[in-house]
Amino acid sequence: MSELIQELQQYEKGRSLWQDAFRRLRKNKLAMFGMAVLSIIVVLALLTPWIAPYSYEQQDLYLGATPPSAEHWFGTDVFGRDQLTRMLYGSRISLMVGLVATSVALLIGVLWGTIAGFFGGRVDAIMMRLVDILYALPFAIFIILLTVVFGRSMLLLFLAIGAVEWLTMARIVRGQVVSLRRQEFIEAAVAMGLTRWQIMQKHLIPNVLGPIIIYTTLTIPSVILLESFLSFLGLGIQPPQSSWGSLIKAGVETMEEYPWLLIYPGILLSLTLFSLNFLGDGLRDALDPRASQD
Amino acid sequence: MLRFIAQRLLTAIPVLFVVILITFTLIRLAPGGPFDQERRVPQVVLETLNKRYNLDDPVHVQFFNYLGNLLKGDFGPSFKYPTRTVTEMISTGLPVTLELGFYALLFAMCIGIASGVVAALRPNSLQDYVPMSLAMAGICLPSFVLGPLLILIFGIGLNALPISGWNATPGDKILPAITLGAAYAAYVARLTRGGMLEVLSQDYIRTARAKGLSPLRILTHHALRGGLAPVVSFAGPAAAMLLSGSFVVETVFQVPGLGRFYLQAAFNRDYTMILGTTIFFATLIIIFNLLADILLVWLNPKLRENMLKS
Repeated sequence: MSELIQELQQYEKGRSLWQDAFRRLRKNKLAMFGMAVLSIIVVLALLTPWIAPYSYEQQDLYLGATPPSAEHWFGTDVFGRDQLTRMLYGSRISLMVGLVATSVALLIGVLWGTIAGFFGGRVDAIMMRLVDILYALPFAIFIILLTVVFGRSMLLLFLAIGAVEWLTMARIVRGQVVSLRRQEFIEAAVAMGLTRWQIMQKHLIPNVLGPIIIYTTLTIPSVILLESFLSFLGLGIQPPQSSWGSLIKAGVETMEEYPWLLIYPGILLSLTLFSLNFLGDGLRDALDPRASQD
Repeated sequence: MLRFIAQRLLTAIPVLFVVILITFTLIRLAPGGPFDQERRVPQVVLETLNKRYNLDDPVHVQFFNYLGNLLKGDFGPSFKYPTRTVTEMISTGLPVTLELGFYALLFAMCIGIASGVVAALRPNSLQDYVPMSLAMAGICLPSFVLGPLLILIFGIGLNALPISGWNATPGDKILPAITLGAAYAAYVARLTRGGMLEVLSQDYIRTARAKGLSPLRILTHHALRGGLAPVVSFAGPAAAMLLSGSFVVETVFQVPGLGRFYLQAAFNRDYTMILGTTIFFATLIIIFNLLADILLVWLNPKLRENMLKS
């Protein structure tokens, strides 16, 4: 009985779209698992300078590569550096590249898509045609080309990866804006005399936010993957700095003798990608229940 | 149909032109000339070299010269290995990369479509969850982790398969092909499942069932054709994925393909080689996109009118 009253009270209060979505997300075990794993990794990465058991470049050539032990949980590399410490610092870089490059993609994509969708007509046609053309290009190759031309720097990595990943975002946002513009509540808002800015703020942005959030969570793993791919090939993060990709590269070089140097960073990278994908799928189901699961 | 193909071809040409222009400009922007060495080369030698490669012409003249040579299939000489031409290097690496890509594609299609169909037949059951979890694993396990892991397990641990080389020992193509195809198989499985689920709920499938056709016949004769449309439209992006994947796989398994040449060129700053291969890769991908579009329209004639309109 009391449950029923509680439920009724809940209805009385009314739930916003976001509360509703959050409730659905909480029920999704995989998504919550992903969120938990990610939170742990992010917190560890943030606290690295204080919690890392050893210093970053502290070498112990006498020790060399040792398998996991009580002093070095994940073993040490050929220079006797603590692998756990290196993985923690690597997480900082990989996650940072993931966040910054995704923000670049987000900014360009949302602006591009909103402008194209809002103005429509010829502006729209030209802008989206350009996106189509860029879509057809081999991007891994272009990023390699960029790193060759402008040297291998972290800034370039951010810009290049961000510049590659904005295309899908632009398409999604534009599609949303175009379909929203035709709807009656926007017409009603216009008829009520709301300004353009008010319409965008009150009606367009909240409605586009869902797909943007979903796609952002799905962009981060592909950005992290791209960075690791480049670092693995030796074109991304340069020593002495390390990211997951460059740790895996180093691990592969010595995997026959010291497999733990490959396996732990590999697990960490895959676990992060898993979690982000689960969270992204979960968010999609929560925010847009109509979207089919594919 | 012909009009559609012609229209697509016409739009491909400006794309290709833009690619060549961008690549050419970028390479010209690159710091340092192709003949910069640690050892200083005498000025006279440098000038002769520049003249030999027409580097003292104005840039736009160089561009149109290059474009003209491209049309004849001549990508110019390599800057690092003056005795070899870029065309030569592409033609030695390409067959290897294409063969690797073909096996990877074959593996991906067989595994991906089969598991996608199996999953779609009984959604939200164990039969769905198991292949889809595996597909998720395939997407989240990048080739540069999967490849070395396969080497550790099958090559070194079990000593069952060769771990490097190409065409040298029997079976040395298996691990590279699986590594390259795994992520692709995962995407194909997910796309097949999505496409099949949509098709299986449509009226004409119910009609076929009502006619008393066997489930297998409905699957092969009615559902697959429509259900595979998402897979086909993925073929274009997939070609790009396979190419960038081949960089990793060819490095890990020491396969002498185009991807490894490209990376070598990137490290050596072999500008003409990079220019040539980039343009070549772009052309390949544009062609793949074109073929995918044509195949898609052929599979679903309803799309033809829409595509012509847009």
